[in-house]
Amino acid sequence: MSDPNTADLHHGEIANLEDLIDRESLREVCRSFFDLFGLSIRVFSARGSLLANVHEERSLCRYVNSLGEGRIACAAIVEEVQGIVPEATTVVHPCFSGAVYHVVPIIYDDRRLGRIVIGPFIPSDVKAPPEAMLQIDPKVDPGRARAALLEMPRVRPATAERIAAHLRGVLDLILFSGHRAHLTSAMHLATVRENYRELAERNARLQEAYDKLKELDRLKSNFLATVSHELRTPLTSIIGYSEMLQTGIAGDLSEEQAGFVETIRTKGELLLSLITSLLDLNKLERGQLNIELEMVDPRAILAEVRETYHPEAERKGIRLEVYCGDDTPYMQADPVRLRQILINLAGNAIKFTPSGGRVDLEAMAVETSFHDEELDDGFGAALMMAPEPAIEFRVRDNGIGIAEDQAERIFDAFYQVDGGSTREFGGAGLGLSIAKNLVEAHHGAIHIESELGHGTTFIVTIPQAPPDPD
Amino acid sequence: MQLDFQTRELTVKLVYYGPALSGKTTNLQAIHRLLNPEGRGRLMTLETRDDRTLFFDLLPLSFSTKSGLTVRIKLFTVPGQVIHNSTRKLVLQGADGVAFIADSQTQEVRANQASFKDLRKNLRDNGLDPARMPLVIQYNKRDLPNIRGEEEIMRMAAKGKEPTILATATHGTGVLETFMALLEVTWAHLEREHALDERFGLSHTEVVEDLRKRFARGTEAAGP
Repeated sequence: MSDPNTADLHHGEIANLEDLIDRESLREVCRSFFDLFGLSIRVFSARGSLLANVHEERSLCRYVNSLGEGRIACAAIVEEVQGIVPEATTVVHPCFSGAVYHVVPIIYDDRRLGRIVIGPFIPSDVKAPPEAMLQIDPKVDPGRARAALLEMPRVRPATAERIAAHLRGVLDLILFSGHRAHLTSAMHLATVRENYRELAERNARLQEAYDKLKELDRLKSNFLATVSHELRTPLTSIIGYSEMLQTGIAGDLSEEQAGFVETIRTKGELLLSLITSLLDLNKLERGQLNIELEMVDPRAILAEVRETYHPEAERKGIRLEVYCGDDTPYMQADPVRLRQILINLAGNAIKFTPSGGRVDLEAMAVETSFHDEELDDGFGAALMMAPEPAIEFRVRDNGIGIAEDQAERIFDAFYQVDGGSTREFGGAGLGLSIAKNLVEAHHGAIHIESELGHGTTFIVTIPQAPPDPD
Repeated sequence: MQLDFQTRELTVKLVYYGPALSGKTTNLQAIHRLLNPEGRGRLMTLETRDDRTLFFDLLPLSFSTKSGLTVRIKLFTVPGQVIHNSTRKLVLQGADGVAFIADSQTQEVRANQASFKDLRKNLRDNGLDPARMPLVIQYNKRDLPNIRGEEEIMRMAAKGKEPTILATATHGTGVLETFMALLEVTWAHLEREHALDERFGLSHTEVVEDLRKRFARGTEAAGP
């Protein structure tokens, strides 16, 4: 509450004429009064500063000042006039010369903010220099004094009052406008500061929440890594012992026993691959995965993927084909990771394609620009959107398809289009998420073209050579 | 309350609070109209946009008392729109009394309540105790259809301690009653806190009567 910038807002007060008035404009207003009425005008603030001063030395004053004693007496009068602080109404201060000064209070919002001094002028009923004038100096020449007096501006007292009232009115308008502008800007400033303070507070709270979430995320990753590791160790034993049983080390198995052991082994392997996926994803999310680049033949990679899924596709009655143009060049990539990307996508395609369907694996050379999304506003597009050679892989199926509104979310870890499909098609919903992370680790892009009920195409674009590190 | 010993001035700040478009500015305009011209300051409206007060209205009233103190009463409104909360908070700083202008229309119940909660929060944020803040509630817009019934309002009001007044500020009815009631409760509170009568010979009745007289003259001049 002691804030100086808001203190005057408590009661909406203004204290100083100086704060509200532009001296130059005030001088112009006074100048126009002078031009209109021929009256000298001075405006003082309550603190006594002279804010405007428009006057000319008048004939009578000039004559008085030309006399030694007269000059001293005139200076005394001027000092008296400057010392007058009128309460509520105009104070009329006479000069020995017969002229008068009107000292008019400037009152705004019940406060005296200053005063206007009008004059000297001769009241219209004064026709001749008074006795005091003639006595002011031994050298006074009554004839010259009289002539000088007649040259002075003459104003009727009532007119002087009206002029003062008019000037007060003009000043009041200036003050009111100034006061309002002053309050508005003070309020504006205070409001901005208050808003800033609130925002800063909110930011601090958000930062705190963000830090907490980051820490939670780190704990989650650590937890996943530890648990996956602890699960793998006994699992490898289970698989290993199942294999040993199958080889007959521990004696022959009956057909039924062999079947059970086979189930234990395959389910164990499935579990192992799931745990491995979890670990991979975890590493990818933590940015710990290393990409080891070498020259890779896209055609060879696709052939390997086809090899992997050939038995399964055959079993399901799905045609699995590779299409790769002869001109498809070698590319720089991590062969293990690239294979993993395509295996995940192809596995996904086979999973969601019914019997009798087909899955195509394609690779081709393209030119594309890998630009940040923030460049989408076109800023620097001529530079940043320059295309570069890339390899585009397409994994196309004619399966169930994906609705448009799901197309982005399917890359989220553990996401499946609907809960039902998890049970129908199996899997943990990690494959696509891992594929996306791996594509991004290759500075590439992945997206989907799909039509519900007609099939899905995953399009992976990877630069032929990775960009130079920034 | 602000007391300036040098100029012997006592400044009291009264704030008209309430939801957007409940009639705060209309109240001030009516008070301004009802006062006789010499005792009232000018009504200042700060930065209006779309007919809505962006910052506040300010109506200064002042008069000298027998004790030699000048009493200055400043009436403020706050901007009702939700987004102007920081302005409301600033205007509420140093308030001595609050008139809460509620909209009588039944569909405005929520808006009234939300604004009142906002008032309580902003008072607290300004270090003022809402329970000790002199308060008057005005149910405005009595001329509209679909309003909460008078009996019901009075039954609710009987459960609280604040004066509750029905008004149609656009016609000027209930406006003075609200203002005078606010002055009464505020002065009673200031008297208790600062012993104004004992210390400065400034009596409750003198202040209230003085203001009442100004309004009386103003009303005569305005005519029916």
